[in-house]
Amino acid sequence: MSFFTKKISRRAIMQALIVLPTLSLFRGLPETTSSNADPDAIVEINGWILKRSDLV
Amino acid sequence: MIFDSYEAFRATNFTPKVCILGSGPAGTTIARKLGAAGIPVVVLEAGSREFSDDSQDFYRGSTVGDPYFDLDITRLRFLGGSSNHWAGWCRVLDKQDFEPKAWAPDTGWPISRADIEPYLPEVHDILELPDFRPDVSISDDIRWVQLIKSPAVRFGEKYADELDKSKNIAVVLNTYAAELAGDGRRVTGAKLWSSGQDVGSFTADYFIVCTGGLENSRLLLWSNQRSNGGVVPNAAALGRYWMEHPTFEGGNAILADYSEFEVDATNEAFFSPTLAAMERLKIMNFGIRLIETPYAGIKSLVADLACTAPDMAEWVAYQLSQNLRCAAQLYVAWEQAPQASNRIKLSKTDVDHAGVPRIELHWKKSEMEHRTLLEGLRLFGTTLVEKNLGRVRIADWIVNGGDYPTNEELAGHHHMGGTRMGTDVTRSVVDANSKVHGMDNLYVGGSSVFCTSGECNPTATITALACRLGDHLSKLITV
Repeated sequence: MSFFTKKISRRAIMQALIVLPTLSLFRGLPETTSSNADPDAIVEINGWILKRSDLV
Repeated sequence: MIFDSYEAFRATNFTPKVCILGSGPAGTTIARKLGAAGIPVVVLEAGSREFSDDSQDFYRGSTVGDPYFDLDITRLRFLGGSSNHWAGWCRVLDKQDFEPKAWAPDTGWPISRADIEPYLPEVHDILELPDFRPDVSISDDIRWVQLIKSPAVRFGEKYADELDKSKNIAVVLNTYAAELAGDGRRVTGAKLWSSGQDVGSFTADYFIVCTGGLENSRLLLWSNQRSNGGVVPNAAALGRYWMEHPTFEGGNAILADYSEFEVDATNEAFFSPTLAAMERLKIMNFGIRLIETPYAGIKSLVADLACTAPDMAEWVAYQLSQNLRCAAQLYVAWEQAPQASNRIKLSKTDVDHAGVPRIELHWKKSEMEHRTLLEGLRLFGTTLVEKNLGRVRIADWIVNGGDYPTNEELAGHHHMGGTRMGTDVTRSVVDANSKVHGMDNLYVGGSSVFCTSGECNPTATITALACRLGDHLSKLITV
């Protein structure tokens, strides 16, 4: 067993893995809070054709 | 007059000037036009008054390439032809469908929509259609178009009495031309089969082949082979440029206000691109059919949306809780770019009871087709966003360039091309009047003369072209 798994429970690892895809970094979502971002710009994410402001 | 066999017909003294092969929408319409002009016509119908397995067996064949329907399922061989199972959806090809497109080789007709427009009032009577309404532009890119759901006229049922009472039209059932003979200038005769037997040769001044968008090519390919090029002297394009309307579920839409579009009785509305959008994106025509989504479908759609746009998903969920309609499925049927490699060939190994080779249909969708599907949905989605009408979710397999599903509609049972119209004899089979290049007395009716397919169901255009050909021949033929 590695040092990493000795210190952190398997349950905690699984919970972290489940949460990861919901983070925008891992969903490939475009920047929505930047002052330069046009809220009316059209973006395509996960097959959806959306307005950037839809992502807020 | 309707005869159940060639023998019964031969016992009369009726001498037709014109022989029409096939009694579907094209054959029946041309016969009625000629009969009304006082020109004696015989219509040879291979089948009987009703469907039969024996007759249908002549339509068996094989397909090479993309999955397609069984060839004896996708068409019908009895009085009225394939009008006996069509759904009745009607729209005439758009003006832009007739025009050449620089980004798609071998597009463009030798006639324009204006050439068939004078016949549209007759088409409305024949197909029992209400007036068409003009397209409604909802953006620079997308038109809200009308696809009429007509009563689906069965030509055999509707016109049997009229044909039976006609003194100028003889319909001969259970009888067909297994092959035509020609000398490179004229068709000199047709070898007929009736009720399962070879009944000899038959001659007329003019022959019009109206046996359907697959069978027209088969008959002419076989006849040309048997007469060493004497039936279609310029045969480079014969059987080629065959087209369908691929049809698949392309995704879903969330709609801000479903009542924004006046849907028809089956809760459907239709959308197509403008010519400018097609040119900009280098795509073909398409029709997006918007259908109200069943409730189970909406829940999974909202769950999917929640991962990307939670606030919007919450809004949709609220709409649902108020029992408001707010989601739709998007089915897309689109135009195939004409390709010479999509073609009808004669089987080298399989023949029917009369010894005529069966069809080997070579059909494959190209990269252009996938681009039309994907960019078409993007165009529609972008328009909904820009106009604040809704949001579109494109199916994963389309976005990711995956294989076409095999459990969907596949196509429209629309058989087009094979004897296409044109001026270049190396790229077409018939001229602007549907006369076979180089032949004086051989014409073709039906969707096999289509140069391009547009996005809409072909029967209204087939009927308009048949009215035009009937009119042309009525002026040409002297009695």
